[in-house]
Formats: sequence, C-alpha cells, structure tokens
Amino acid sequence: MKVSLVSRSGREFIKGGLELNDSATVADLQEAIHKRTKKFYPSRQRLTLPVPSGSRERPVVLNYKKSLKDYCDGNENSLTVVFKDLGPQVSYRTLFFFEYLGPLILYPVFYYFPVYKFFGYKGDVLPVHPVQTYALYYWCFHYFKRIMETFFVHRFSHATSPLSNVFRNCAYYWTFGAYIAYYVNHPLYTPVGDLQMKIGFGFGLVCQLANFYCHIILKNLRGPDGSGGYQIPRGFLFNIVTCANYTTEIYQWLGFNIATQTFAGYVFLVVAASIMTNWALAKHRRLKKLFDGKDGRPKYPRRWIILPPFL
Amino acid sequence: MASALTLLRRLYLSIYNWIVFIGWFQVLFLALKTLKESGHEHVYNAVEKPLLLAQSAAVLEILHGLIGLVRSPVSSTLPQIGSRLYLTWGILWSFPEIRTHVLVTSLVISWAITEIIRYSFFGMKEAFGFAPSWHLWLRYSTFLVLYPTGISSEVGLIYFALPYIKASEKYCIRMPNKWNFSFDYFYAAIIALGIYVPGSPHLYRYMLAQRKRALSKSKKE
Repeated sequence: MKVSLVSRSGREFIKGGLELNDSATVADLQEAIHKRTKKFYPSRQRLTLPVPSGSRERPVVLNYKKSLKDYCDGNENSLTVVFKDLGPQVSYRTLFFFEYLGPLILYPVFYYFPVYKFFGYKGDVLPVHPVQTYALYYWCFHYFKRIMETFFVHRFSHATSPLSNVFRNCAYYWTFGAYIAYYVNHPLYTPVGDLQMKIGFGFGLVCQLANFYCHIILKNLRGPDGSGGYQIPRGFLFNIVTCANYTTEIYQWLGFNIATQTFAGYVFLVVAASIMTNWALAKHRRLKKLFDGKDGRPKYPRRWIILPPFL
Repeated sequence: MASALTLLRRLYLSIYNWIVFIGWFQVLFLALKTLKESGHEHVYNAVEKPLLLAQSAAVLEILHGLIGLVRSPVSSTLPQIGSRLYLTWGILWSFPEIRTHVLVTSLVISWAITEIIRYSFFGMKEAFGFAPSWHLWLRYSTFLVLYPTGISSEVGLIYFALPYIKASEKYCIRMPNKWNFSFDYFYAAIIALGIYVPGSPHLYRYMLAQRKRALSKSKKE
C-alpha cells in the first residue's frame, strides 16, 4: 500500500510517499522513514492520523505494534500519515542514570572534602555528628538503589525522552543534591535529638523497602520487552492507592528530613511531592478513563490517588 | 446589578490608573528638574517619595489580576513587579551608598516614561472607553529603547551595589540555628543577576510578539 507522509502544515514530507507491504506494521513504516531520512530514527518520529481541519480532537497516535491496515479507514491501498519530529531522543535509562549520578557523587564531596573552606569557614570544617554520617549512607544508598532499579527492575515501554530533558532533569537533581548536601554537612550544622534521628532514618528505610517492592509489582505488570501497556496495579499498597510507588518515595524523603532537619531538605520534599502529585493525578485519571467498566474492561476500583488521606 | 458592578470597576480602575500616572509624572518631572539644577547625585533624594509610592502601588495590580478585575495573567505581571520592587526597596532604599550613582537617573527616567505611557493608556481606556492609535503605538514601541536602557540600569545598579551588600550583612540569616537554614543576601543578588541573563531576552521577545499582535489588530479595525 502507498503511505503518503505529510508534515503538520500539510506539506508533503517524503516526495512520492512510501510503498509498503499490505501487511506492514507501523514499526515497518518507521524503519522505512528512517531509511529514507537518515536523521529521523524511529524514536524521534511522532506519527499521527490527520485530523480534519477545525476539529478540536486530539490526533490518533500510531502504535508501533499495530498493522497499518488497522488505521486505513476503508481505503486499503493508501494511507496518509502526519509526521512530527520530536527532536533528538535519549532512552529513559540514559536519562535516569545521569540525573541520579549527580547526587550520588556530589553529596559525598561535601562530606569528605573540606569544601567549606571555599565558603570562608576556617578551622575544623569536616562533619562531626553521627547523624551526618548516617545521612551520607542513607542518601547514597537511596541513589544507588535508584540506579540499580533503572538497570535491573524498571521495564520501560518503547518510550524515550527528548534530549533537552537531560539538561533540565540533571539541573534539578544535581542542584538540589548540592543544596541539601551543603547544609547537612555544614560545620555549623545543628543535629536533632537521638530518638528523632532514629525514628526518621528507621521510617525512611522501611519506606525505601516498600518503595522497592512497589517497583517490583509494577515491573511484573509488563513483559520483558516493555509490552503490556496499561494495567491495573494490584497487591500490597496498590490496593489502597494508585501511585503507591510515589507515596513511599515521598514518605521516604520525609523520614530523611525528620532525621536531618534542614530547610533545604524540606524544600526538596515539597517540590518533589508536588511534581509526583502531578504525575499521580494524570496516571490515576488515565487509568480511570481506560478502565471504565464498559466492553468487558474491568472498572478501575476506588482508590486514593497518592497521599491518603489528602489526595 | 451587573452593569452597576461594571461601572464601579471602571470607576475604580480609572481612579487607580490616573493616580499612579500622576505619581510617575512627578517622578519624571522631579528627576529632570533635579538633573538640570543639581546633578545626577541628587536625583534619588528628589524622587524618593513619589517613586516608592508609585512603584509599591503596583502590588495592587497583582491583586487585580488574581480577582479577575483585569485580564492580564498573574504569571507575567509577577516577575515584572517583582524585579521593580527588588530594585526599589531591596537595592535603592536599602543601600544608600548606591543612590548617588548615575545609573539611578537612567533607571528612574526609563521607568517613569514607560509607566506614564502605560498608566495613561489604561486610564483612558477605563475612563473613556478608547485610546487614540498614537497612544497605542507609543505603548507598544517605546519599550524597544526603554527596556534595554531600564534593564541595563537595573543590572548595573545591582552590580555596583554588591560591595555594599556584602559589607553590610543586611537581610542575612546565619547558622547555627534549629532549622539549619541560612540566607545570604549577597549570593541572592548574584543569582538575581543570573536570572537577568535568560530573563531579559525572553521578556523582550514577549513584548515584540505583543507589539506585533496589538499593532496588527488595530490595523485591521
């Protein structure tokens, strides 16, 4: 069949279109486009069906696994597809690795090296309180865990992320990492009481373990190649809250802050929690819309979104 | 009932805009008069009262946007007013040593001309329902010169105030304390300077787009 490729402005993107097998899949189309236009590898392509002009509907995005036939509206011999360049892409693994590497390396710098001399502090500048040492272990364990999960647990669907997100995300993680590390390891740091410290780190560790288990559950919802699409998560905390993984992550940071008590740490907690809440609202909404109980699909059960009893 | 509220709104906004207009007119008048008679070192002292009043009144505009009295989005008025208040109170009022600098003159003149045009424009629209096309042209064209002069003055004044900021320790919170919190006004000023680097071209581009929209719309009418 003949596939005509147009840009969003209507201009013909590949002159003369492409000729493909009648049984070809969208992935085959992506390969064919890549062959003709070296620059646009498949993860950079966003292919949609044309939307009638004036219509306010969101365009249908072509799924790489489906056959092109599925998108032919009656006319089996030709198909018009709209192409958009998503810009240079990186895999989620690459993105996550670099954004987590920063905090893992920067924090120990503030602990082990006399950096505070550069901020004008003279004399004894290295950390002396036990809580500062435990905070170092806790923090580094957290980001080490995240990196391990990135490579061995998380199952990413075909998804990639724009290259610009590398700079944006690294700026976020690395800046906050340095900001918090500066205060916890500061020569004039004031520790909290012993009991509060133990409660904070203890609670945080339990939440980190719970968070790990949540990630295992989410991983098992998908096949090893990332297939499976959206499923209703079940078991453990997912029975009560949709984004139990975010919940445990937020509470884990709360534990860290109860133990270390810095303004910087709490700012990070609030910002991270609001970012995750945005994600959770979108995910919950998406799952409820998908699992509406019609056409044999299960109905999405009543659950908290992210932070019982608030949301 | 609804039209009585609309009338009240128009009355309030007319009074607001014309009063602040008078404030900025005073600033410009006194600035030029003092510049001619005594020199740039004395400009701040001459304009201080109307400047502080007129600039601080702009906080009301955030309120106006929040309660829906005017259409401008809070997201664009907030950074603009924020930077003005920072310069007015956080630099000029807080650090008297900088007040004699020549950039104070270029600053208040740039601000005053811009605001005189802006407030009289809105004052006209609220009171009389229209503004002449030359007024619209002025509002969307003078920024082409006054934004660069104003922004350069702002950046320059912050930069030249840095030594005084560092020496005075004003607005600084030091450790140790229970919340392990610190704030250094000097480093905050450096960060503020940093924000001008991407912020200024972004704002200028935004104004250029606004200009294109406003002037082409008026051509069509």
